[in-house]
Amino acid sequence: MRRSLAFLLLTGIISAGPARAETLNMPVLVPLTGFLSLEGTSQRNGAVLALRGAQPPGVTVATDVVDTGTSPEAAVTALERALGRGTTVAVAASMLGTQMLAMLPLAADYKVPLVTVSGTASITEQGNPWVFRFFPGDAVTKEAHARYVVEELGKRRPAVIYQTTAYGQSGRAHLAERFRALGAEVVYEEGVDPAARDLLPVLSKALAARPDVLVLHLHSGPTALFLRQAAAHGVEVPIVAGSAMHQPSTAALLDPAEMKGVCAETAASPVSGGSPEMDRFTADYRAAFGTEPDAFALGQYDGTRMVLDAIARGARTAEAVRAALADGTHEGLAMTYRSDGTGNMAHSAVIVCYDGTSRVPQVVRRYDALSGSTR
Amino acid sequence: MLALQLLLNGIALGAAYALVALGFVLVLNATGAVNFAQGDLVMAGGILAAALAPLLPVPGLLLLPLVLALMAGLGLLLSLAAYLPLRHRPPVAVFISTIAVGIMLQNGVTVLFGPEPRAAPPLLGGGTLDLAGLVVPEQSLAIVAVAALLIGGQQWVFGRTQLGRRLRATAQDPEMARACGVPVTAMVMATFALAAAYAGAAGLLLANQFFVTPTAGGDLILKAYIAVTIGGWGSVPGAVAGALLIALFEVGVSSVLSYPVALGALYVTLLAILVFRPQGLFGEVARRRA
Repeated sequence: MRRSLAFLLLTGIISAGPARAETLNMPVLVPLTGFLSLEGTSQRNGAVLALRGAQPPGVTVATDVVDTGTSPEAAVTALERALGRGTTVAVAASMLGTQMLAMLPLAADYKVPLVTVSGTASITEQGNPWVFRFFPGDAVTKEAHARYVVEELGKRRPAVIYQTTAYGQSGRAHLAERFRALGAEVVYEEGVDPAARDLLPVLSKALAARPDVLVLHLHSGPTALFLRQAAAHGVEVPIVAGSAMHQPSTAALLDPAEMKGVCAETAASPVSGGSPEMDRFTADYRAAFGTEPDAFALGQYDGTRMVLDAIARGARTAEAVRAALADGTHEGLAMTYRSDGTGNMAHSAVIVCYDGTSRVPQVVRRYDALSGSTR
Repeated sequence: MLALQLLLNGIALGAAYALVALGFVLVLNATGAVNFAQGDLVMAGGILAAALAPLLPVPGLLLLPLVLALMAGLGLLLSLAAYLPLRHRPPVAVFISTIAVGIMLQNGVTVLFGPEPRAAPPLLGGGTLDLAGLVVPEQSLAIVAVAALLIGGQQWVFGRTQLGRRLRATAQDPEMARACGVPVTAMVMATFALAAAYAGAAGLLLANQFFVTPTAGGDLILKAYIAVTIGGWGSVPGAVAGALLIALFEVGVSSVLSYPVALGALYVTLLAILVFRPQGLFGEVARRRA
């Protein structure tokens, strides 16, 4: 009884006090367990770091973090539950393409924008105005990848080694199309299962085709495994890897000498620095999570900051936030974001290279305003 | 030269798979239960070794006994939580409980240690040897040596010691063993501990060369299951042969065909064995015992 009275008094004091900040919700629904937990954790950290930062004046943006695992059903359930609480103005949504595809119809029904770093091309091809991707899709990153190989390195005979997953197949298709457009002949290509533990067979077959460059589009572990075996066998053909290479957790698996001369494409490389703001983001991220940030974390951070900026400029509903994302421009830490009309916000990519003495790569080339189209 | 190199890589990979399959067979023989958590125990062993390495900066060889002991403890917990309460229930109950334990291990490791792939320290050295043009990773030699020692040690314990005789008696006929004074429950727990220790060894060895992630266990249990099915359900030499055969396909066949085709060929071979020799390559021994 005494406790209830105290509660009533406390709520009375709060409600009688100065005007309370309006509370809006931006739940974070990402895969923290399962095969995408590494990337999903980066996504979560990026969103949470942005939401912990400066809040829009007069508004409190609250968040709940929910693990969506890897099943579409879990993601849909998490979204339904999240939308049932308070005023949700946007959702930081899973980077897993199958989960995004399942959540999109629900987002359209509830009219709430999904802010994601999913690379799956089809999520922005559904004609759904409620999705916004703050990470360059494969069409963009593979354009940078292939152009660096052909235009900067002057290589014309790439061997492409990709993962047999949906991620790998998508990258392979875009690389093949882009190399064809650039006049390079792919002399060898093979898909590798992510569970493969010895990559010497594929390495030896690729080298037998006499390529002048090895182009990888593999997940984190297989990328490290490939580079380790290439270094052990003294492979001198240059290697330009996919974005998994830029992840600090990939570099942590290798000795710096094993990465000497290896380059990779990525949306951004926060640990490489480049501006005081980027350095501050990296320092804050390390302090908050005790780990190194990657491009996924930065993309989700930038996307979440764009939502917060929209709220700061007066957006108080999901529709107002959607309009701000669809029509606005955001100067993020990684790049300038602007929708292409379908929700693709990111149109830049960088190439990073390792010098053999450090696990921190240097940005050697930046590509902006990439269309991702060969036509 | 390349063929020799691939053969060497295949033997090292097969030896590591054999350790995974061996733990699986031990529990299978002792309890008749299929321990679907064995792959996740291997993952846990690898993560444990990777996590201990910064705290104890010693070679993997010195870390190995600690990993074996801790994993044996985890095996005891597994038997207490997932097997003993369900041992009088239909076998499917243990299937489900070990699958549940595997999922809990995966998610527990993700929460405790993070989702990043990790590398365990090498057993002795992480370098490579140049043997007449062959690039031989020292860790590959260590894997083969440790696998041979553990498999040989197990054969010795089972064949020449009182503990081994009790374990075999428990595996063959628990009721008769109990009637003869064998502490069957303790033997079952010891088997789970031994199997988990094997998983720890396999995890430490695999996690140096091939890295380890919290989700790695699913693939490993599949390999163990196939190895045991090919070799003969419950046969230790069969499990080793099956593991080597899987590695032959993954390394040897994939050097001629593509990796996905090599995997397909492995499953076709498995199917052929199931059709034409359902007891497996070494199935005679198991049938006689049964």
